[in-house]
Amino acid sequence: MTFRLLSAAVLAGAMVLPAHAAEPMNDLEIAHTAYTAGQLDIRYAHLALAVSENADVRSFAETMIRDHSAVNSAAVDLITELNVTPQDNDLSRALVQGAADKRAELMGLSGSAFDCAYAQNELGYHQVVNKTVEESFIPAVTVAPLKELLTDALATFKVHEGHAEQMVSNLQCS
Amino acid sequence: MQLTRRQLIAAGGLAAAAAALPAAASPAVRVRIRKFAFDPDTVSIKAGERIEWVNEDFAPHTATEDDYSWDTGELGKGSTASVLFETPGTHSYYCAYHPHMKARIVVTA
Repeated sequence: MTFRLLSAAVLAGAMVLPAHAAEPMNDLEIAHTAYTAGQLDIRYAHLALAVSENADVRSFAETMIRDHSAVNSAAVDLITELNVTPQDNDLSRALVQGAADKRAELMGLSGSAFDCAYAQNELGYHQVVNKTVEESFIPAVTVAPLKELLTDALATFKVHEGHAEQMVSNLQCS
Repeated sequence: MQLTRRQLIAAGGLAAAAAALPAAASPAVRVRIRKFAFDPDTVSIKAGERIEWVNEDFAPHTATEDDYSWDTGELGKGSTASVLFETPGTHSYYCAYHPHMKARIVVTA
């Protein structure tokens, strides 16, 4: 369920679900995927800072870098403390591939076309990641500190979703 | 984090109404920053008292006066900063990183 939920919407058909898509993810896989999702949003943000000249878009991108870096830093601290290694998995790999495709698409754009595409992608990305974290990852995680980290991180990501929604509205994208 | 007067000046100017001083200057009223909100969002203090902010979120925050006359600078998770309010007045402030986060300080004589 987790895999299907996240990949279907975030990647918008850019990938095919593997046969074991419905298999539950373990804590280490969830940790890997959550960290990966944050890193990918940071990469989107760096692209926005390289391309966009819109002050609001640039401010949003700076916030994404700052906030996701803080959350992922806390994640690294936790896995160091627990002395565990997050496990790469099909969902993480699919996210990486989907994001690479999206970045390639964004790099072909400029001006308001880029701003709108970036903003809409941020909104969709946060909507689906948040739904997955809230409905799949947090209920499934068994280690209390990781559950707590994901819960706190979700509060951050939900603010981002609202901010992205406002950005899309302000840009008046068609 | 304890701001010095010099740091505050470097950050954008020192208002007559507010200044950062060592922690021992006066008791501080604490404002928690959690779940992207200042708690409490309105604080009443007397002139000569300090406000101390502590960030409990993963995301970095600031407490920044609307007119930039004082600013805590970036507060990472678990970090604190305080500002001394020396004269009566009302201060509206926000988080420079998340501008929807707004709050108010009322300083009385």
